[in-house]
Amino acid sequence: MTVETPLLEVSNLSVRAGRDPEASLILNEISFCLEARRILGVIGGGGSGKTTLARAVVNWLAPPLRVSSGEVRFRGQDILRFAPEASRSLRGKAIGYIGGDPAGALDPTLTVGTQIVEKLRAVEPDVTRQEAKERVIELLAAVRIPTPSQRFNEYPFQYSGGMMQRAMIVDALISKPELLVADSITQPLDVTVGAQILRLLRDLTEQFGTAILFISASLPTVADVSDDILVLDGGQMVELRPTAELIRAPGHPYTKKLMDELPMLWSKDLGARLKPAPAIAEPILRVSNVGKTYSISPRSGIGRARRLQAVRNASFDVFAGENFGVVGESGCGKSSLMRLLTALERPDTGTITFEGKNIFDQGAAATKAFRRRMQLVLQDPYSSLPPQASVGDIIAEPLLIHGLGGRAARRAQAMEMLREVGLPAACFDELPMTLTAGQRQRVNVARAMILEPQLLIMDETLSALDQTEQGRLLDLFERLQAQHGFTYLFISHDIAMVRRVCARVAVMYLGEVVELAQNERLFFDPGHPYSRALLSAAPTLEERRYRSEDCLLEGEPPSPIDLPPGCAFASRCPHVYETCLKRNPALTDRGNADRAACHLLTQGSAQQKDHAQ
Amino acid sequence: MEKTVEIPGTPPADDLRRLSISRRIALGAWNSLEFRIGLSVFLFMLLMAIFYPMLSDIDPTRMNVRARLIPPVFMGEGATWAHPLGTDQLGRDMLVRSLVGLRYSLLIGGATVALMLFVGCLVGLFAGYRGGLTDTLLMRITDAQLSIPMIILAIAILGVARPTIPAIIIVLGLSGWPVYARVMRSVIMAERKREFVRGATVLGASDMRIMFLLLLPLCLPPIAFVAVLDVARMMIFESVLGFLGLGVQPPTPTFGNIIADGRKYLLNAWWIATMPGIFLFLTLASLNLMGAALERSRNRVYGGIE
Repeated sequence: MTVETPLLEVSNLSVRAGRDPEASLILNEISFCLEARRILGVIGGGGSGKTTLARAVVNWLAPPLRVSSGEVRFRGQDILRFAPEASRSLRGKAIGYIGGDPAGALDPTLTVGTQIVEKLRAVEPDVTRQEAKERVIELLAAVRIPTPSQRFNEYPFQYSGGMMQRAMIVDALISKPELLVADSITQPLDVTVGAQILRLLRDLTEQFGTAILFISASLPTVADVSDDILVLDGGQMVELRPTAELIRAPGHPYTKKLMDELPMLWSKDLGARLKPAPAIAEPILRVSNVGKTYSISPRSGIGRARRLQAVRNASFDVFAGENFGVVGESGCGKSSLMRLLTALERPDTGTITFEGKNIFDQGAAATKAFRRRMQLVLQDPYSSLPPQASVGDIIAEPLLIHGLGGRAARRAQAMEMLREVGLPAACFDELPMTLTAGQRQRVNVARAMILEPQLLIMDETLSALDQTEQGRLLDLFERLQAQHGFTYLFISHDIAMVRRVCARVAVMYLGEVVELAQNERLFFDPGHPYSRALLSAAPTLEERRYRSEDCLLEGEPPSPIDLPPGCAFASRCPHVYETCLKRNPALTDRGNADRAACHLLTQGSAQQKDHAQ
Repeated sequence: MEKTVEIPGTPPADDLRRLSISRRIALGAWNSLEFRIGLSVFLFMLLMAIFYPMLSDIDPTRMNVRARLIPPVFMGEGATWAHPLGTDQLGRDMLVRSLVGLRYSLLIGGATVALMLFVGCLVGLFAGYRGGLTDTLLMRITDAQLSIPMIILAIAILGVARPTIPAIIIVLGLSGWPVYARVMRSVIMAERKREFVRGATVLGASDMRIMFLLLLPLCLPPIAFVAVLDVARMMIFESVLGFLGLGVQPPTPTFGNIIADGRKYLLNAWWIATMPGIFLFLTLASLNLMGAALERSRNRVYGGIE
């Protein structure tokens, strides 16, 4: 195929916030070409102008943003000079746009199918409803939504996050666009689901000949999917090169910095941070066979209540002084487990003991005392702090709750904590509103620390922060641990973070601990297929030890409501065989207190035993 | 020890920032012209209401038939400085009557709003926070109360019992609280699911502490600002009751019964009904000015602008 003019040609595009020639420059002289069937990745940190670029390319800038110079040529025509109506028809038809918030982009009151048919008929009024429906179902199948003709008639709330994102891709592809602009589409998704979506995008470029402008803040994601990469920094184009070349030898210091910040799963030795427990340590927290089932009454109010098994048979010990990690994707029961560990809810089965005492067996006063020894640092830096209390009051609140110290003592101690977590003293009378996400998390940490607890549970504490800030907070945690002898329990979906910090890791899938292993063992010799799938999907630029194609079948986690018998991972596991569908495997010892729950292991060890005999 | 990390984006710590948050709100309000005008008018009215009847030594109920229907001084003709705002049909001094009326109206308006805010917020707080059976019970009571029209309730109670001031306050308060309960409940229900409430539970805070020290300070101020406007409404309701003859009984002057009596003389002595109206307007306008300025300042501070 010979193309004289490239599909999309952006030349010297500048965008300013406002008409004023002095107004701040959001994009500065961006130029690139994109040809059919190619994927151009755009990468940059927060505020680098990625989304502005995406919007400018589809001529969809909202005031005060406006293009101050340059042009965007689509098939040789400058779309920025188009009349609004013309660019609107172009946008729906020839250029598709997918945003990062599928749940917000779909109308909750219409079925997914209806919405997409509507969209198709808006840009192509000649298509009949029946034809449109067939095309939608065909495409739903193409993006591998199971039973598409049934899913066509379902509402967005019945879709999972990954499926909604697929529906958005269908929505963008339905008019057979030549160019697809995908703005941060994998950001809200779980890594394993995100990996599937990326694979899908690559297939689609081949199948439909679509060119894709793929925008993301995560370099590994972009590198995974794109042919070329454009690096943006503060609105400046710092580098535009083929992916492999860029990864091998980044030319610009900013690109180098981006790459250095990336977590390494396998190639870097991170032993220093891991903090394994001393050899003769006592378990500070002992979770044994804990299960929690919620019953969901049917919407109509009649009929059998359904059982949602949020946590099933979770067992692990956390030793004093170590960093323990619980890792898993959304819906795996991490949050439910956190609620059990913090005594917000009682488990249905099993016991949780803290420092040798069952945390549920002792009445309100003892629970309060337990909560003094154990603290939780919450995930969301925005909603976890009371919005109208000053930072100082927030930090001093636990002292007030437990009736410790007088007014002046509390203030002094809160000041001290503020200093310890590295916040300026001027923050004391500030509202949390005025702080950055990282500073808010520091406030959260300070509030948890002020009672001098033994165990700190970090519930996704770092997941809202960027890599640099994560690194700083990890340094802080390390220093505080050295000073106060805390035990950390990290609950996270971010496997790279766990690799950097946790000496021992429990991997959860659908409410169950499927693997419990030392850090090294988990990353170099995982015992459970799900652990391998998780590793294969982790965002990293390294030579992967596990390829997502080998480790993960298409499909999404089954619903935790009314789980079928057998192994929960069976529906996505490439090694699935008969027994997996019948019996749920139990945790099997793999030596060195590493355990995993997979039938293949018992089989393997049985064989090994045979060999030994 | 690691050095304090300088994080960009931290606003400069000027003098304003060193003040505590409530002080910043108060200062922000004080700096606005509306607040100062409102406050000075309100204080002026209040001081007048408290001190003028005492100092001027005129009895608001003393009749003087010879000096009846004297116009206010600015009317010129036949007016006298002995009665700056004129006299009514029985020769009573309008200024003193209006000021004493203002006293009663303020008392009734303030007390009523305090009562309904207290009951409504308490009911809403418990219903919203506890949920379940508590919620169902409290809200059905609220619904029952909401279904009785205020005027009917007032006629029933005040018609049977003597319409004394405490009775009037209770009647008005009783008919007003369900709205507050409803609003409070919905706000609390939204807030109690937020992360920081769960955080407080894990910190060991009891339910009472979360309800009264965490959620109430968060949800009360916007409702309280609406309640300030309700002081005005309640003063008008008291006038309505007075108009129906169920308000404070004569000869005690309140805005309601002065206006009701003056209505008959509207053509030849318009000032009788108008003067209390002007006092009512000034008081309410000043209250609203202050409330609005405080609310704006609060929004600015909590919105992170100041």
